Parts: sequence; structure tokens; C-alpha cells
Amino acid sequence: MAARQYSDAPVCDFDSMPEMRGYTAEPEGMYVGCPGKHGYLKLGFEKNREGKTILRDLDRRAPLIVQKELYFDEQLPEMPCVYILSSGGPNVDGDRYVQKFHLKKDAMAFISTGAATKLAEMKSNYSGMRQTIVLEAGSYLEYLPEPVIPCKHTRYISDTAIVADPTASMFYSEIYMPGRKYYKTGEIFEYDVLSVCVHGSRPDGMPLFREKFVITPQDGHIRDIGIMSHYDVFANVVVLAPENVINEIYTRTEPGIDRESRLAYGITHLPNHSGLLFRALGMEPGPVKKIVRSFCSDVRMAVKGCPLPDEFPWR
Amino acid sequence: MHNMNKLFRLIQFSDSTFPVGTFSFSNGLETAAGLGIVHDAHTLKEYTRSIATQAAFSDGVSALLSHRAALAGDYAGVCQADRQLMLFKMNDEARLMLARMGKKLAELGLALYGPESMFASWLEDIKAGLTPGTYPVAQGIAFALDGMDEKALYVAHQYGVINMVLSAALRCVRISHYDTQKILFELGDDIEDSYAQAKNMGFDNMRAFVPQADIFASLHEKGKMRMFMN
Repeated sequence: MAARQYSDAPVCDFDSMPEMRGYTAEPEGMYVGCPGKHGYLKLGFEKNREGKTILRDLDRRAPLIVQKELYFDEQLPEMPCVYILSSGGPNVDGDRYVQKFHLKKDAMAFISTGAATKLAEMKSNYSGMRQTIVLEAGSYLEYLPEPVIPCKHTRYISDTAIVADPTASMFYSEIYMPGRKYYKTGEIFEYDVLSVCVHGSRPDGMPLFREKFVITPQDGHIRDIGIMSHYDVFANVVVLAPENVINEIYTRTEPGIDRESRLAYGITHLPNHSGLLFRALGMEPGPVKKIVRSFCSDVRMAVKGCPLPDEFPWR
Repeated sequence: MHNMNKLFRLIQFSDSTFPVGTFSFSNGLETAAGLGIVHDAHTLKEYTRSIATQAAFSDGVSALLSHRAALAGDYAGVCQADRQLMLFKMNDEARLMLARMGKKLAELGLALYGPESMFASWLEDIKAGLTPGTYPVAQGIAFALDGMDEKALYVAHQYGVINMVLSAALRCVRISHYDTQKILFELGDDIEDSYAQAKNMGFDNMRAFVPQADIFASLHEKGKMRMFMN
């Protein structure tokens, strides 16, 4: 048997996390860490002498792909817009991903994904992603990926570490579907584990906040009041910004429960006056994406003085 | 927990009249009841279990870790548990609740255990803004000072959380004492499983998922309904 080859992407290992216990067997297909299923993406943004931000560093390993940065945002024409694609299709058993975004002083960037991230059915192992976001002084990041769709028996874990200068600003949204809602008779909350952790700190190491949720729908309580209740879609938006900007956004944003469109949304401060957390619950991805985008537009207005452009009609 | 004196202390610390201000907080129930989402024994039980579960794997873990640190005389470990819990609390009212109740227990602890106890330095550090002073950590210190084991602490903690929601329910949901006692009785059956998971968790494993309750808290935070502080 030929010696195994491994991707040279940085290690991404969550085997020691309790929620992944029982899901560490080697997949029957391609092994954990082999080239092609251990993706790596490093994006380094820098402001050039003309005041435009450019994608100075780009390093990637399959299946993650980022091509040339685009400048299509008419409100912020000097901001590069980048879409992350995956040549492998959905995340499968034993996939690992490492993503690093670094915005240098006063740089700005918009990052999204080309389509929803599908987490395929898994038998032996799990799919994991480790992200690091570094924001230098005065930088500004918009990270607005498409929803994540965890299929039946998916096990997924992610850890996002944000290191932000006090003068930097960003929003980062995550939208989670309950599954392939309209597949066959409906696949809703049939995944095994969804474990998501986002934590922030200052460049000197001072911790700011730490949010972690682990959803195991098979425990039978996902539909309880206080958790998902009758809602299917869940969204989180983390906002980091200087305190005056945070206060402006907080004052402007009203929480609410819209019984007609079956949406609920709320906002609160993160610990240490470091930012805001906006949450939304809904039934379908469209209305949830819309309210998340509307909130993010308010964030951009407070930080940059202009709104987000309308979403492309095909998204 | 085979010593009568310790059993006595456990009951004292778990009593709803223990003066730390639990009656001021509803953990989002006031809004849920106001909206008619929690309106009877069945919906109240679901909501209470959601709040108890999120507390079990965040506040409860922090209580256990601070208790172990206090037993080992590791004051830095106690303060670490305190700070980690505050980093983890994702809404203003929850942070306010933990800090107010923690400080109350620290003051009471100083009176009960004396100026040589860990409560003295901890209270000083709370006042100096060096540590947030959360309630589960205060419970951890108190139980360590009294030599009570961590199972007793965990039971007291979870009982306190559940009882806080149910006591609030008596004031804002059409519910009887019989209903609330039945819910308390039934949710007590979850404690063994809950402790079995929490006892092996560290700061990295702390977790909570109550998005609807978080939205209730946000509505309360920015709203005008005010029977409770949260």
C-alpha cells in the first residue's frame, strides 16, 4: 500500500472536543488530512498608495478557491470583494478547513461564499473549520457568507478567533439552516452535532468575548421554547467596532417578533463594550438573509457612512 | 453530603429566601409570558428546562471550576473562572444579574465566613474592578469554604436557576404552586445526567444555545416592561 500523503495546510484537529467524541473513526473514503480534503485559505489585504485595498497575499489549498478580487461595490469602490468557493462541493466526512484573513492598517474587504455551504451526510468522522481573523488599526471587514446547510447525520465543528484592534470594525454573520428542508419529505434537525465557537481578543491578548453553542438535535429539546421553538433558521451577527459606533448601532436597532412573517430578532452588547451580537430566527433563509443584510447595512452606515448595495437578484 | 451540618448549609444556600436578590430576575420569562409564548405548565416547563440547560453548561461549569480552585487555595483560578464566565455571557441583563447576585453573596459570605476568608479578597477585587464577581463563582467559594462537595454545589446551583424561573412564573404566568412544584420535581430528574457532562468540562467546552430566550432578553433590555430586572 502506498504511503499516505498529507496536505501541507495547517493542522485543524478537533478530536479532543467532547462533542466530537464518537466521531473520530477514519472515513471509509479518503482519509483525514489527505490533499484535496484539507483546505487552506490565507487572504491578506493591504491598502495601497492610491487608497485602494488590494489582496496582497493569497495562499490556498484545494478544495478552497479564491480567484481575483473584484471591485463591484459602487458605495465603496476601493473595497475588494472576494468570494470563497469550494471545488469539492459539500463538506464531507473528515474534511478539514483552515481560513486566515488579515486586514492591515486601514484596509477593508468584503468576503462571502459563492453558494450555501452544504454539510453532507457523514458516517465515520466530522468536518471541521478553524478560522482566524486579524484586524489591524482602522481596518474594516464585511464577512457575510451564504447559509450553512447541515444534512442528516452531519457533524460539524468550527472555531473562529478574531483579533481586533480597538479602532477596527467588522461584521461577521452566520446563518444556519435546519437541514435540507424541502428534500424528500423534509430533513429538519436530523444532523448529529453542530458546534460553533466565535471568540475575540485585542492584539495584546486581552480576551473580549467567547460564544460557543453546541446543537445536538437528537437530544429531543431543539424545539423547546427558549431554544428554536417553532423556528427553523438561526442567524448570528457579531459586530466589533469602536464604542461610539457600537452605541449608535445599538440605539438604531430595535428587536422584534413579527408573527406574520414568523421572524424574531434581537440585539445585545458583547462583553467588555467590544461589540454587538444580533440574533435572528425565522422559517426560511430568504427573510432571515434579508434582515441580516439590513442590519449589516446599518453597521456599514455607522462605520462608513453608506449602506450595503442591494443583494444580487440571483442570491 | 452525609454530614447533617453540611446538609443544613446546603438547604440554607439553596433557599429562595437566601438574600442574593433572585426574586428580581426572570431570565427572560417576563417577556415570554407577556407575549403569551409561555402561558401554561407545559410551556413553562419547556422554557425552564431551556434556561436550566444553558446554565448547566456555562454557569454550572464555572461554579465547579471555581470550587475546585478554591479548594486548592488557587485564588487566581477562582478569578479566572469568574472572568471566563463573564466573557461567555452574551447579554447585558445576564451579566448584570450574575454580577449583582455575586456581589451580594460575597458580602454575605464575608459576614458568614469572616475577614480571613477568600471572600474578603474577592470582594475587594470586585470593588476594584479586578474581577467581575459572578454568582456561580461566589457559590463555588462558599461551598469550598464549608467543605461541601461539588455535587452539592451543582445541585444548589441548578436548583437555584430553576427555582428562580419558577418563582418568577408565579408572578407573571397563570400558574399554580402545584404546577411549579411539579415542574421542579420533574426537572430534578435531569440533574445526574447534567452533572455527568458538566464535571468534565473546561472553559473551552462551556456552551449555551437559547436563541429565542436571548431574543426575549433583548426585547426586555430595550423594552418598557419592567416587573423584573431581566
